[in-house]
Amino acid sequence: MKKLLLASSIIAALFSQAAFATQTIKANVNGMVCAFCAQGIEKKMRALSQTKDVYVNLKQRIVAVELKDGQTLSNDTVKDLIKDAGYEVTSIEISSHPIEHIKAEMESK
Amino acid sequence: MQLSSCFKFLLKLGLFVCSVNAVAGPMGFKDSFMAMGDFNKNWREVFVNYAITPRDAFGVGATYMRSDDETKTRTLEEFTYTSLLKRWNLPNSQANLWFTGGIGAIQGENDSVEKGHHFDKVMVTPGIQFDYETTRVYFAAAHRLYRAEDINHDFTSVRAGFSFYETDYDKTQPWAILEARNMNGLSEKIEVTPMLRLINKSYFVEAGINNSGQPRFNFMYIF
Repeated sequence: MKKLLLASSIIAALFSQAAFATQTIKANVNGMVCAFCAQGIEKKMRALSQTKDVYVNLKQRIVAVELKDGQTLSNDTVKDLIKDAGYEVTSIEISSHPIEHIKAEMESK
Repeated sequence: MQLSSCFKFLLKLGLFVCSVNAVAGPMGFKDSFMAMGDFNKNWREVFVNYAITPRDAFGVGATYMRSDDETKTRTLEEFTYTSLLKRWNLPNSQANLWFTGGIGAIQGENDSVEKGHHFDKVMVTPGIQFDYETTRVYFAAAHRLYRAEDINHDFTSVRAGFSFYETDYDKTQPWAILEARNMNGLSEKIEVTPMLRLINKSYFVEAGINNSGQPRFNFMYIF
């Protein structure tokens, strides 16, 4: 019985960790050269209910959107919002790191 | 004098323009309002527009113009349309071609015709602007027609500048900008203004003093 409970707890913990693992969408964006002009990207991303935090790096041409626990966001939505803000997404990758980690990584380059 | 005429000719020949005197992009992102202002002794302009798409914005504007000799004054109130004709989003730069057009009413005094001579006419103001920008350099050229019956106050400007250093997205970046511009029928001079530009993700301001010793202030704000 104890073994069963222990196994259940481990499985539940694993599933809950998987379900609430950090997910950050990292987009490479062309044309992003001015903070005043790029503010539209940040505003549009922050307006999404799924968004926990947004990070923009002009030098590395990166927009990173960290999602709230359990939330999802399609790549197409990200691309469309960035296009509405006037820019072009060249590639997208999904990271399991939070914004703070990505920020530290970018700024160390 | 000859140099001034030559430069004026080159300005008109080679340049294209913008609506609000070539500050930066003349509209914000989709579903945003942009407010812009440009103020000096003889030319004061305020503008607000709303971007209904990423490429189209409608707005209203008001402009006060005065000749160097202070014998002519005009006020213009207009409805405007701004269109992003073409944008080039490159890895480390962006270039844009804009159209801005307006239609409105111009009122004025022209003391050189007759003391207290007053008029009220319909004015159209189509214009075009090209700009190119990286995180370190900036260039813009604009030409806008200001036409009404018997009136031509076409506006031409060129701007170029550089940033002192690159900054993070959430920091303020200082730029040095040099602008040359002319308003036909109001000034025979090329107005040259070196300006300090401060760009932040929330605001955009410029201030300088022109070659006649007059102060100049510009701003842009998106909300």
